[in-house]
Amino acid sequence: MQDIIQVKGLTKKYGDLVAVDHISFNVHQGETFGILGPNGAGKTTTLEMLEGLKHITAGEAILDGHNIQSHPREVKTIIGVQLQASSFFDGLNLRELLVTFASLYNRKVNPVELLRKVQLEEKMGNMVKELSGGQKQRLSIAVGLVNDPKVLFLDEPTTGLDPQARRHMWDLITEIKKQGKTIVLTTHYMEEAEVLCDRIAIMDHAKIVAFDTPFNLLKSADVGSTITFRVDKPCPVEHFKSLPAVLTAIAEDHGYRLLSSNPEATLPALFKHETSCEFKVFDLQLRQATLEDVFLKLTGSTLRE
Amino acid sequence: MYTLFTLTKSAIKMFVRNKQSLFFALFMPTVIMTIFGFIGFDRIPKVPVGIVVSNPTPATQQFIDQLSQISAFTVTRGSEADQRTALQKGDRSVVLLVPDALLPDPQAKTPPQKQTITALTNVSQPQQVQTTLSILTQILDKTTLSIARAPELFDLKTEQVNSRDVKYIDFLLPGIVAMAVMQMSIFSVAFVFADYKEKGVLKRLIATPMRPYQFVTANVVTRLLMALAQAAILIAIGVLGFHSHVLGSYWLVLLLAMLGGVMFLGLGFVISGIAKTVESVPALANLIAFPMLFLSGVFFPVDAMPAWLGHVVQYLPLTYFANAMREVMANGSGFSVIAKDVYWMIGWAVALIILANFTFGFEEKRV
Repeated sequence: MQDIIQVKGLTKKYGDLVAVDHISFNVHQGETFGILGPNGAGKTTTLEMLEGLKHITAGEAILDGHNIQSHPREVKTIIGVQLQASSFFDGLNLRELLVTFASLYNRKVNPVELLRKVQLEEKMGNMVKELSGGQKQRLSIAVGLVNDPKVLFLDEPTTGLDPQARRHMWDLITEIKKQGKTIVLTTHYMEEAEVLCDRIAIMDHAKIVAFDTPFNLLKSADVGSTITFRVDKPCPVEHFKSLPAVLTAIAEDHGYRLLSSNPEATLPALFKHETSCEFKVFDLQLRQATLEDVFLKLTGSTLRE
Repeated sequence: MYTLFTLTKSAIKMFVRNKQSLFFALFMPTVIMTIFGFIGFDRIPKVPVGIVVSNPTPATQQFIDQLSQISAFTVTRGSEADQRTALQKGDRSVVLLVPDALLPDPQAKTPPQKQTITALTNVSQPQQVQTTLSILTQILDKTTLSIARAPELFDLKTEQVNSRDVKYIDFLLPGIVAMAVMQMSIFSVAFVFADYKEKGVLKRLIATPMRPYQFVTANVVTRLLMALAQAAILIAIGVLGFHSHVLGSYWLVLLLAMLGGVMFLGLGFVISGIAKTVESVPALANLIAFPMLFLSGVFFPVDAMPAWLGHVVQYLPLTYFANAMREVMANGSGFSVIAKDVYWMIGWAVALIILANFTFGFEEKRV
């Protein structure tokens, strides 16, 4: 497979603060690539450097053969962009807005067809301010598609949307993917990355801590299973960390979560522990590990913290 | 070219759909012109004159009637006590105590006696008193001559060379046009671009291959067209509604409107660059525009100011703009008369555009 994006040692510094720290990755032609991480990990900064919106402190990024720093305009011509806080002109309706944005690429588009793609055709005479949050995000994607880009960048496309609007957005992104477009998206929703992405880079504290397909990430992290449970008497989380086959353990809102490489070894020990420590376990669940658990193992914290 | 054309078309749509900017661009100046036009500063107020006379002879009565017909006076008759009170209250400029037999009976054989009119004058209104007394002296002199049957030796013939009478509206209209163009240029750019910057619209735009100058050009062209429309509409209202006149070349007026537009659009970009948030725009813009409104000779001539202030305000951009507009519209001057103002305006425009380049930018500052 051909790499449409190559990133080497990409770095962004604001004075002493390092927002992105020497990250390297490549994106294959036609794949959906996810950058996953908590808020403040450096996802948006990374994306904006690739889009030519932020100056690159060090390293380089090549998009479809063009260096973003030396040839930003060539890159901007072949990419479509959805910014995290996208805002458009107030005084134009959707149809006029798409025609105006297409003109920035010196192109003429059929605005109605584009709006149909994102299911906003009945809103074509409306102003942006009359749209709901989910509709605004879909419009934002339509605007990102006016130049029929090779790569579409989506910065947290579903943040702030209700579950139904999120599902809707996922369907839309899958649809665009089917048309052969390369998509690079950021998200802090594990589930979203698992559903949409062919490959994922997990970012934390300005660095990429893991980078593979969701399947390989799960396999290589050797997380095995997740055990969640609650107890009737609070107990220090360190107690659980020493149980056999436990990779990591954290206290959650209403109980504990253990990552175990071998639940057959962990569970009997947990129950033994129960009798010696005189607490009672309830609501016990054993489930297959997810990317969320991979992230927990890699960084020692959960995504939503 | 397609990009620029489409962007300009969209910018015009956005401008026209923005009720607020239309209000400030057209409605406000019209309201101001209407208010000031109706106040009519050019009508000289009549001087209130009181007359005290108890039992005038027919000849004296005729003299009093003659006084009452003088358009510069409003004549009131009353008792001496009442008139004195009115004078003290400031309701009269002059009170005349007229003897009953001021004028001799035309049939009388005896030569007329010298009569005395006493004028009580209001110290606080010296100008009105002066006017009244000189008119009165003139009338008395003429009366004396006609009674003495002396031949009139002189006749003063007046001929109006410049038949146009300059009214306040003629002074006001060019100033209003200049003011309107300034307000529209500064505010529409400062607000809209500060808003675009804050909401991330500019960021979204530079994620496209568009060059910043294309977007700026489209918006500048839009506003220059608006400046021309403003000038045309306001002048039409002034001429049709208030009977003002435009003596000079309309082309020169439109050229000045454009040049003024460029100058103040530059200032608008400077302000939107300095303003950290949209909320700080009106404060900043008013801080700069408001003093100019009153100091730059829009509503009253710069000559009316104290000398030291005049020295400062003559260099303000709006002063040159309003002055040049007035020269062309009210005095019918050609380019040679306003050349100095035009050069200063070009100087201001260049300076402001250079400054705007420093303060205003699409892209974030490189850290």
